[in-house]
Amino acid sequence: MASRNRRDRFRVPPSPYLFIAPFFVVFAAFGIYPLIYALQLSFMRWRGAGEAHWVGLGNYLYLLTSPDFWASLGNSAVMWLLIVPIQVIAGLGGAVLLANAKLRLRGLFRVAFIAPFVTPLVAMAQVWIVAFDQDYGLVNHVLNLVGLPDVGWLTSTAWSKPTLALLFLWKTTGFAIIILLAGLQAVPGGVYEAAALDGASRTRQFWSITVPLVRRSMAFLVVVQTLAVFQMFAEPFVVTEGGPYGSTTTAGLYLYDHITASDLGTGAANSFLLVLLVFGLSLVSVRLLRPKDEAS
Amino acid sequence: MNQTRPGPVQYAVLALLATVFLYPIWWAVSSSLKPAAEIISDPLSIGALTLDNYRAMFADVPIGTGFANTALVLVVRGAMTMFFCPLAGYAFAKYDFPGKNLLFGVVLLTLMLPTLVLIIPLLLEMSALGWVNTYQALILPGSIDAFSIFWMRQTIAAIPDELIDAGRVDGAGEFGIFAKVVLPVIRPGLAALAVLTTMNVYNDFVWPVVAVNDTSHQTLQVVLATLAQNVTGNRIGADFATVWGELLAAGSIALLPLLVIFVLLQRHFINGILAGSVKG
Repeated sequence: MASRNRRDRFRVPPSPYLFIAPFFVVFAAFGIYPLIYALQLSFMRWRGAGEAHWVGLGNYLYLLTSPDFWASLGNSAVMWLLIVPIQVIAGLGGAVLLANAKLRLRGLFRVAFIAPFVTPLVAMAQVWIVAFDQDYGLVNHVLNLVGLPDVGWLTSTAWSKPTLALLFLWKTTGFAIIILLAGLQAVPGGVYEAAALDGASRTRQFWSITVPLVRRSMAFLVVVQTLAVFQMFAEPFVVTEGGPYGSTTTAGLYLYDHITASDLGTGAANSFLLVLLVFGLSLVSVRLLRPKDEAS
Repeated sequence: MNQTRPGPVQYAVLALLATVFLYPIWWAVSSSLKPAAEIISDPLSIGALTLDNYRAMFADVPIGTGFANTALVLVVRGAMTMFFCPLAGYAFAKYDFPGKNLLFGVVLLTLMLPTLVLIIPLLLEMSALGWVNTYQALILPGSIDAFSIFWMRQTIAAIPDELIDAGRVDGAGEFGIFAKVVLPVIRPGLAALAVLTTMNVYNDFVWPVVAVNDTSHQTLQVVLATLAQNVTGNRIGADFATVWGELLAAGSIALLPLLVIFVLLQRHFINGILAGSVKG
């Protein structure tokens, strides 16, 4: 924070305004202007060419009564259930293992865990297409070797979401481990020894010391990943193209489909509904995960 | 955690996790280097080393164009981020000026704006400007991003005021202080910013796929996605093995550069990844 007495020591030159101007110029041109335009567009019926008609709340009402719109939210909600709880548990487990001060090869493990996070999603989506192919893929090949039948990973509505969730989990669980590890390492070293002296068991130490201390990191992780899951786009776009039978048409992909159909007014309305949802979800996650003893 | 020496069980679990994380990358790269027919006939085999898949891929896929376009966008966007974001961060960290809190509030608000909401209106704006399929469409939107400004403000706020005042006493101009005093001090933060920006721009997909649809301006990720859709789009009659070989070759060649940079500069990567989780 800037201190008050510095203001008295020298007058404010115009420089700070010049220093922040570039951001605001870019933001006005490619942030505020399109946002206002999108808001206006969301009350219009427009197919990208020809006349635009004012339809008031028509686009919003159309979406809110459209089974496809709700199906896209439902698909994203299922994705969330398949991803976030597993990631928090696996992330915490990995972080606890890595946090041990006497662990050897920690650097090596850390590199292995974060490697997926730096790979391009599209490249790995290609690998998923090939590895989970029903007829010739690696995964079914291995299943056959141990005597199990083929699974329609990408061709059945039952398996399509878990297969994409697996890609998301594979790619970002290392990120979760690193975030939670940073939270754990902020724990003062002597706390556990003191607890052990007081006769607290390992399990007791975990629930009474570790979990409360990583709460903040956990809350951050859940919020970030919730936003990411509800904006998921590249995975279904590349791997399944929203199929089979729309089972992987996530909220993000459904929004994109309005562009393909050049139904831009509806698309704009869909964007704002999605933003409201995402904001709502972040507020709820922050509320639920806020430590009880903190008022912030 | 408790400071007991980790036993074989812990190491086994960690090794298993590491295998799960590394195997898909290993499988993609090793499969891309074996004869195409064998990818299908025996996915687990370590085949004879061959570059056939790469030869076929370079012949059929405009991957060189993809790399060149990504490199161009990366250089320009990277330069803009590395210059303007610390500069704005410095103004917010070390100056008092009327309207500062309000303006910084705007920066924080844009942090929470989902990318997806802007896709459609941005696309229309690009059409109106005649910028669809241009480099400026790939470069300008989001080139000076709120997150980097927020992060640089945190980093620069930690510099003691005395250091900056000393620069002022020496008669340096306002920008001179930024260039000569602030930037050298935050070098580790700048390295992390450079690495994170590289990763984000290199892997960016949603906006490029919307803004660009001609081959000559496609970034690497869009080239890859187009190739993947050719595979899923026509299963019937396609020469499977060849196409899969090309797909894995393209994917492998795309993931290796970042992976190499990551292994060499992992400390900066991890600092960059953790930058978002600091107490905000």
